[in-house]
Amino acid sequence: MTVGLTLVYGISGLALNHAHHWDANYRRTRAELRIEPVGTGPTPEITPVVLARLAVPEPVKNTWRAAPGTLQVFVEGGQYDVDLVTGRVIRSGFAKRPLLWDLNFMHLNSGKAPWTGIADVYAGILILLAVTGIFLVKGSKGLAGRGGVLMALGFLLPLIYALVIRSGG
Amino acid sequence: MRKITLMLMLASLLPVASSATAGSSAKIFGKGVSAPDTVLISDVLAHPDAYVGKTIRVTGTAVGVCKHRGCWVALASDVEGESLRVKVKDGEIVFPPEILGETVTAEGTWTSNVITLKPEEAKHAKKHVAAEGGDKPACSAEGGTCKTVYQLSGTGAVVSGK
Repeated sequence: MTVGLTLVYGISGLALNHAHHWDANYRRTRAELRIEPVGTGPTPEITPVVLARLAVPEPVKNTWRAAPGTLQVFVEGGQYDVDLVTGRVIRSGFAKRPLLWDLNFMHLNSGKAPWTGIADVYAGILILLAVTGIFLVKGSKGLAGRGGVLMALGFLLPLIYALVIRSGG
Repeated sequence: MRKITLMLMLASLLPVASSATAGSSAKIFGKGVSAPDTVLISDVLAHPDAYVGKTIRVTGTAVGVCKHRGCWVALASDVEGESLRVKVKDGEIVFPPEILGETVTAEGTWTSNVITLKPEEAKHAKKHVAAEGGDKPACSAEGGTCKTVYQLSGTGAVVSGK
């Protein structure tokens, strides 16, 4: 049981640790296209013209006049930012990363109730494995030797880090 | 055989993740909404100080979502070009990009925060106020190098589709 769940938390942990470098949940795309400029007329008048000229393949969810010169068109899986004066269009798209999105969803417990119980049981099993594991290996590779050094490292690393954080480092 | 077992175990977890987003068309985030009346976003933005500290409910089309952590959503006002930001605690509520273009009703406390601007930011803000025909500084700090940021500190939201 712990193998599968550890992979869930391990793989998504790596992905989420680097969330500031990349979007761990969505694959983002950006494309530029052009339409004939529509001009900055009243929104009810220009919107159907923009939609006709864009001829987007996706179902249109909504539109918004973000600024006098900008109309945003929201579609399934993305949006089009239309410059009404120049006709320049930026299409920003997003799509869930296969598997990774699901793993991150579980790791962050975004679904709350159903997953909380499973995650709690998993945490309990991990604690049990850690504690019983201390006494599993005997001799020079056990607690009195290499095992003890590695275990001390496991305690020291987070302890030192916590002290550094608290001291404002 | 072992690989197949592992794959099956991982696959069996996927429906748990999917079930939280599928189902009924209305999606509830956080505590949802319970305030009795909806306030117009244009009214809140026109008189922001009058709402500070109050629990309010607003409705608008989602026109922006935090890309990194889904920790805020921008709602379009009933007045063209205006939008209001709903900020939630990181990780507590996560707004996915799929809600863009959909109608969101959000609830929370209207807050104001004064932030200090760097000289170049202050210059830009002054230009922005002038361009909008305003004649008041963004706030009363010395030298006008500060800006008051209003936002809804959200506790819950309901996304009801387009």
